[in-house]
Amino acid sequence: MTNAAVAVSKPKWRFKLTKRVFSYPYVLFMLLFVVIPLVMILVNAFLDADNNLTLENFADFFTDKSSLVILANSLLVGVITTAICLIIGYPLAYFLSKMPSGRVLVLFYVLPMWVNFLIRTLATKAIFIAMDVTLGMGTVIFGMVYNYLPFMILPLHTTLSSIDRSYIEAAQDLGADSSTVFLKTVLPLSVSGIISGITMVFIPTISTFAISQLLSNGKIFLFGDSIQMKFEQGLYGVGSIMSLVMLVFVLVSNFIINRASRKSGLSVGRSLW
Amino acid sequence: MKKRKTLALIALAVVCVCAAAPLLAACNASGGGIMSGGADTLVIYNWEDYIDTDLLDEFATYYREVTGRKLDITYSTFDTNETMLTQVMRGETAVDVVCPSEYAIQRLMTAGLLADQKALVEQYSAIYPEAFTHLSNSETDGNINSTVLDKIGEIFGEMKVGDKVVDMRDYMVPYMWGTLGLLYNTKIITEEQLDKYGWGLLWNEADIPELENMILMKDSVRDSYAAVVLYMEKYKLLPDAVSDTYGKRFDELTVNELINCTDRPLLERAEELLTAQRDHISGYEVDFGKDDMINEIVYLDLAWSGDALWAIEESEYYEDTDTYQLGYYVPEKSNIWYDGWAVLESSDSKLAAMMFIDYMCTPEAGARNIGVIGYTSAVDQELMRYDYGAAQALLDEEVEYLWYANAEECEIYTDKNGGLFFYFEWVDGEGYYRDLFGKKIPDEKIPDELTLFAAETDEDGYYRLPKNIADFLPEGMESYPLDEDYIVCPDSISLFYDDEGRYPEITENLGVMRDYGAANEDVVNMWQRAKAGGVPDSLWWCLLAIVLFVAVVPGAYFIKEAVKARPRKIVKKHDGSDSE
Repeated sequence: MTNAAVAVSKPKWRFKLTKRVFSYPYVLFMLLFVVIPLVMILVNAFLDADNNLTLENFADFFTDKSSLVILANSLLVGVITTAICLIIGYPLAYFLSKMPSGRVLVLFYVLPMWVNFLIRTLATKAIFIAMDVTLGMGTVIFGMVYNYLPFMILPLHTTLSSIDRSYIEAAQDLGADSSTVFLKTVLPLSVSGIISGITMVFIPTISTFAISQLLSNGKIFLFGDSIQMKFEQGLYGVGSIMSLVMLVFVLVSNFIINRASRKSGLSVGRSLW
Repeated sequence: MKKRKTLALIALAVVCVCAAAPLLAACNASGGGIMSGGADTLVIYNWEDYIDTDLLDEFATYYREVTGRKLDITYSTFDTNETMLTQVMRGETAVDVVCPSEYAIQRLMTAGLLADQKALVEQYSAIYPEAFTHLSNSETDGNINSTVLDKIGEIFGEMKVGDKVVDMRDYMVPYMWGTLGLLYNTKIITEEQLDKYGWGLLWNEADIPELENMILMKDSVRDSYAAVVLYMEKYKLLPDAVSDTYGKRFDELTVNELINCTDRPLLERAEELLTAQRDHISGYEVDFGKDDMINEIVYLDLAWSGDALWAIEESEYYEDTDTYQLGYYVPEKSNIWYDGWAVLESSDSKLAAMMFIDYMCTPEAGARNIGVIGYTSAVDQELMRYDYGAAQALLDEEVEYLWYANAEECEIYTDKNGGLFFYFEWVDGEGYYRDLFGKKIPDEKIPDELTLFAAETDEDGYYRLPKNIADFLPEGMESYPLDEDYIVCPDSISLFYDDEGRYPEITENLGVMRDYGAANEDVVNMWQRAKAGGVPDSLWWCLLAIVLFVAVVPGAYFIKEAVKARPRKIVKKHDGSDSE
């Protein structure tokens, strides 16, 4: 009797091949390559050169005017790149979604992505030099738009082509002209695509450093460049703070975008856990 | 419940990782020992592309001959001094020998990480006396260029490490050295302009219209800082004040003091000038400058001597004027840098490490490294000039710094006293004489009566080594040291060893840069501010344009609606009764 009771109450761990087991490698991967590096950055941010606890790194960063100017530059470049990508990408995705051969044509826009972005950027630079274009802010923004345009077109095209044609037909039947159809039917239905497009362009652009360095010969100095320089010079504390600031911007923009998408009743990316 | 399980899993994973990390590190540290089965190991940590890698295998063979033990060499590389410092100072990699720049050696020394090589040489040469003949010891000076060593002694001769005063020359052996200077396009910039403007050319002080926006600056804090303070010195732009560090006025400082000065007024002035420079330059580079110079994408580049010499050789050669497309100019006052071999105190293979350093000081190794990487070896050039191994390494087809004398390009004369005179005339009417080892013969020493020396040539016109060559050699030399069968062209020897770019005269106008120490962060921040500039106006205009564009689109829609709205009312009046 007691024996049986013990046997029953004894928790027995038995391996069961459930669906969840398959997620363990990913969990481990996340821990090793996402969580632990983040924790290391967080720790480094509070250490000075002799590994003592300090808050000086924060003061160093937030009182240095140049860091803030660089941050402002990066954000501006990010906003401009995203806006240009949207202005170019939306009409393109819209017309492609209307065309029967749109799916194939989209492939052409995605095709350059199969070439490594560094090689593409170096090639762009070579073209600019051959054309005698002075390298500077213009070329950097061109490079950014060129590199991130596919990230805008793809989600837009997917959303636009999945809009049920009957909504548009219904709007037309009710007497809406083409611009009204677009503004009141197509545009609201494609908000989720716009939001994910913006996320996919804005967040990487504010943190790039290779494109700006290559396409301006290092004359345009963005936040990513600054972080790279800090780590290169062994200033880990300030570098970590800057990485954290970048992370905050990413999280904030993600939050805003999520809020916006929730308002419009659509979800763009669910939480992983 | 679910959550708790996940949490437990995370905890488990963290424990696993924590447990595995030291284990992995331990494997790494002792890895060489376990796998090589008793052989000695040597871990060399050097700059990328900074050695003739064949020398490594040859050294392993040599080590076996001398000590009778097998040696496993692990050769790894770094791309910046800072990477190396992080790796070594945080103890992330077990290294025996490193080869960083002077200021990084200084940092390693002050951290007490380097071994005293003088003591090591003394200790080991008692056991293997034949293996340490190229390094300096109590009896000989060694093979290293003594002027370079003196220069190092000037700055780092009395360093305070802990409570001891030590000499850096006891802790490292110079490997390569060079200068900082201007790599320029000879068609755009003339030598007079170089002499007149010096560093000012980086700011286009000469107002050469072609040069505007065609200048590349080094994307490196230390080199750019050296250039900017020396520019201030030349143009009397130094702050009108007394330096706190030296207690002298800024314009009274020597080159050495000036390029190592990080006083606030000087930093502020440097920032101003570097910011102003942005309007004149194309950008900042560390690696593509040489190619851009060769391809004429830019016309002026702040460059290190080794890179510059490499670029000049790759550039176009104009036969009619005997000049190259590119040139290298070291302004009157400049920076001299060096990289050196240092042994870490924590090393277990100090014997192999010291033998390796000694091996690198042979004239042959020096010449072979020059051949492969193009920088200037610290091995004394006067030793290399008369060394068989060095000559053969430089005669190599892939290197071709030296070549054999050919009847087409030179004539050999002799006089009554039995001297040999090699006559060259590359440009018509501008001939000159060289002796057998490429030394210049001054005009007054050329005798009036010269007779053609009957030297035998082979079918391609190359002079064979005369049988009676011993009669023409300097005293104490029994046979021609450079080759067995042919005469090495004396002009090529001269071009190589008397090249001012490769072997500049070391004067007090060349300064060595120290580590900035605590001021490092200030200098880096200054450099960042200069590089960042402000928010460019173009960005604001761009943003404004986009905002306007975005405003125009809905604006147009509403205008259209408004226009449409008016006639619709009229339509309603007429057809209102009809509908429904």
